[in-house]
Amino acid sequence: MTLLGKLTWQAIPLHEPLPLFSGAAVVIIMVAIVAWVVIKGYLPYLWREWITSVDHKRIGVMYCILAGVMLLRGFIDAIMMRTQQVMAYNAPGFLPPSHFAQVFSAHGTIMIFFVAMPFVIGLMNVIVPLQLGVRDVAFPTLNSVSFWLTAAGALLVNLSLVVGEFDRTGWLPYPPLSELAYSPGVGVDYYCWSLQISGVGTLMTGINFVTTILKLRAPGMHYTRMPMFCWTALASNLLIVAAFPVLTATLAMLLLDRYVGFHFFTDTGGGNSMMFMNLIWAWGHPEVYILVLPAFGIYSEVVSTFSSKPLFGYRSMIYATMAICIISFMVWLHHFFTMGAGADVNAIFGIASMIIAVPTGVKIFNWLFTMYGGSVRFTTPMLWSIGFIVTFAIGGLTGVLLAVPPADFQLHNSVFLVAHFHNVIIGAVIFGVFAGYVYWFPKAFGFTLDERLGKWAFWLWLIGFWVAWGPGYVVGLEGMTRRLQHYDVAEWHPWLVVAEGGVLIILLGIIAQIAQIVVSVRTREQRRDVTGDPWDGRNLEWATASPPPPFNFAVLPDVTDQEPYWDMKARAREIGQLTRPEPEYQPIHMPRNSPTGFVTAFLAVVSGFALIWHIWWLVVLGLAGAYATFVVFAWRDHDEELIPAEEVARLDRANRAVRSAALHHRQLRREVETQREPRQ
Amino acid sequence: MSSDPNRFEQFDLGSHVGEDRVLGEAPSELHPPTLRSELRGYLIGLVLAAALTAASFWALDEHVIYGPGIVMALIVFGLAQVGVHLAFFLHLTTAPDNANNALALAFGVLIVSLIFFGSIWVMFHMNQHMIPARALMEMRGG
Amino acid sequence: MSAASTALRAGSDPYHIGHGPSTGVPEYTGHGAGGPAPKRIVVGYGFWIFILSDVILFSCFFATYTVLIEARNGGPGPQQLFDLHNTAVETACLLLSSFSCGMTSLAVARHNLLWSEITLAITGLLGLTFIGLEVHEFLGLVAQGAGPTRSAFLTSFFALVGCHGVHVTAGLLWLGTMMAQFPAKGFKQTILHRYLCFSLFWHALDIIWIGIFTVVYLIGTITP
Repeated sequence: MTLLGKLTWQAIPLHEPLPLFSGAAVVIIMVAIVAWVVIKGYLPYLWREWITSVDHKRIGVMYCILAGVMLLRGFIDAIMMRTQQVMAYNAPGFLPPSHFAQVFSAHGTIMIFFVAMPFVIGLMNVIVPLQLGVRDVAFPTLNSVSFWLTAAGALLVNLSLVVGEFDRTGWLPYPPLSELAYSPGVGVDYYCWSLQISGVGTLMTGINFVTTILKLRAPGMHYTRMPMFCWTALASNLLIVAAFPVLTATLAMLLLDRYVGFHFFTDTGGGNSMMFMNLIWAWGHPEVYILVLPAFGIYSEVVSTFSSKPLFGYRSMIYATMAICIISFMVWLHHFFTMGAGADVNAIFGIASMIIAVPTGVKIFNWLFTMYGGSVRFTTPMLWSIGFIVTFAIGGLTGVLLAVPPADFQLHNSVFLVAHFHNVIIGAVIFGVFAGYVYWFPKAFGFTLDERLGKWAFWLWLIGFWVAWGPGYVVGLEGMTRRLQHYDVAEWHPWLVVAEGGVLIILLGIIAQIAQIVVSVRTREQRRDVTGDPWDGRNLEWATASPPPPFNFAVLPDVTDQEPYWDMKARAREIGQLTRPEPEYQPIHMPRNSPTGFVTAFLAVVSGFALIWHIWWLVVLGLAGAYATFVVFAWRDHDEELIPAEEVARLDRANRAVRSAALHHRQLRREVETQREPRQ
Repeated sequence: MSSDPNRFEQFDLGSHVGEDRVLGEAPSELHPPTLRSELRGYLIGLVLAAALTAASFWALDEHVIYGPGIVMALIVFGLAQVGVHLAFFLHLTTAPDNANNALALAFGVLIVSLIFFGSIWVMFHMNQHMIPARALMEMRGG
Repeated sequence: MSAASTALRAGSDPYHIGHGPSTGVPEYTGHGAGGPAPKRIVVGYGFWIFILSDVILFSCFFATYTVLIEARNGGPGPQQLFDLHNTAVETACLLLSSFSCGMTSLAVARHNLLWSEITLAITGLLGLTFIGLEVHEFLGLVAQGAGPTRSAFLTSFFALVGCHGVHVTAGLLWLGTMMAQFPAKGFKQTILHRYLCFSLFWHALDIIWIGIFTVVYLIGTITP
């Protein structure tokens, strides 16, 4: 028993050049950024406007930035894996097995938990309250805590690069391999604690958004007038609330096994490792839909806006979404058909898995029919959406193949499976968040992104994806299993070289996206979105300024239609002026900034680190700090601040002015057109 | 939908028009809620819950209930008691103002049943078809 | 404030059986379409969702217990280990504490500080007794060599019942904080909301316990 638990100098990878180099690079970059911020004097601004902010838009942006940074980290892992498999034909390659195992584990963990999740949650944060026409989410401070806990989890995962090691068991730590007997290092502990911490954050996000969507909506917004993105966000957050406790419980059981010698999943003592598969997939399958449903919502918004038509089959879309929400909880066994539960169990779960393709198909047809007969504008978000429909249809079909138990027995654990889930996660989730990112960027920042580079990024990603993962299906059918550090099958090698090429094309796509940001920021004055409605949008997020004022709406909009803003614009055009006369402005109460989230995350990182390295006194200290934070937070008296009526009036009058101007401009144009008509 | 533009003039984060109910507060049918009427509700709940608990412990005695039916009886008593708690302590009702609460509960019950019975079903079948790990250890002479 | 909400505030129940909805009653009750709900409703609903998620967490431990109940590893089973008298006393403690928590709700609704504190103290003492009994039971089991590391069955037992015990302990910490807050802060809105959440939490713990004494102790004891 030492003061620092298991932590010694051995934990720093001084003897392994690759981790040492990458770890040092990460540390140097982070220190450099912090130093730059401090020297430039940005710290007070960052602290005041971002770190302690409880504004849903700011939190959403921070989520998306976290996701973007982690995407780069996860993508570096991807390049390393592809390169290793190109080099390791009858050769050891450049990654030793222990390091290769950490890389594929980290890649999966990061891409799911710290890229896809924060990106989806970030977009929901920015947009859902705006679309609902309200001022913020139900629990703004809790929202900040959620974000910072997610960031804390991400920090712990990255810390494992420098101090100790990461988990080597894959993105899901299957026992008995992940038990102490076979994984005595701290890798699995890093995995478990970072996911426990970020999982609590995600659960609180789920609670927050379910409450927001069900209890805070603009007056008149019935369930059947809610935008599709809000519906899918509701379904996704219901799934978070239902599924994340299962993840917490399962990882807690594994931790109990590892820390205090319990026998949930061990080989000895009567433990049953298959119970872990059962529980983790009872979380894992809904997780897939937690990610993909909001993406479906984004496509619905994008397709409808850029086809200049209402969403086709709005009600059937709601039914499909909620059906997926429920059925996604009845199919988890298809992840382990080969466990041996027998033909009857497998058959029922196989059929349920195929049934879930039905509502998904309904959605695809709805998007197609929305485009049909519309005047489609092929903007970047629309390209992502069309690319998604094609890619996802194929990915979904390979999923249906895998849902057939006899086929699954052949394909289980092969690269075919890996190709399938990359096909749906990249093709649906990642394309979706990119579509949403380009679509809503002007709303969050007040200027549009460069379209030309955006289209380059799209084509590079789409082609790169197919070149990278098309071969995956082939080598999978040729019998290549997943996670191979080296191999000696000549037929696989050319395909893996092609896949490496695909990854490099995606790399070019990512470079195009970074260039897109740089170029757009530099030319932001030319691309200002002064109207707040750059795409001729249909829902309430476009009814307010870009970027929206802190209170979103000076007076909550009055919803009378399924497409509230489209309806407002139509009525305004009819009567030739804005639908509502200028209101009497009132001061607005908004929640005050709070450092609670940041402090909680700091304590979470400290406790998590202490738990990983068995530094028990620090654990006690961290928990005591958490309770103290709770009490201090509970004791606060002033949790709101007032935005004076003059400020509200100033911001809202500006918004009204540009909208009137746009309206008159439009009318003028129409008058000119009608005068011209008789001559033709 | 009202077209009166002033109707929703003052929407702060916390203002409202329609009001749903919160669980745990005085039941909505008591207006105004008197101490006596509320206390009576809690007392009825306490007596019912105590009676159901007693029934559960009593059912364990094999001579009272047909042996194989005991488990079923215990489950019924347990579920009934959960119902008593929900109705008399949390004041959950089926009125429209409770719709969200009841729907959320229904969703929760569905998920809990899927996880609980689903896991048992899956694992039972697996144990039947596969040699349990411990039996394997014993065969190896472990 | 519109006339409709003032009418509701006054306490007339629009859905009183036998009375049709009176005029001015919003048509959106239960559908949340009448504009954002008041803070009280939002807080209560959010916490109700949290409790449901917590119940789902417990369902995993219940499932694991049921799956592993026969995995004794040559060790003792429920029949040899469980003392149902202890369980009965624990059950009584929690049921009474749930009732006294209800009494606190009545006192809090009437802004009666003295009775609020007294009933909270009773709730807390009953909770402490429960925890004491549970710890006593656990120590007894460990002393006879039936600790959580003995077998998978005991692992799942200690985890499920212990998880509930941890929740009760957290509830007691919260209860202590509430007892300090009522006199310090008075019955202001935020404190009332927090108490509402606490009472939901405490009642939910008792509901979980119904599952535990039924599945773990009673059904467990008749499992061969």
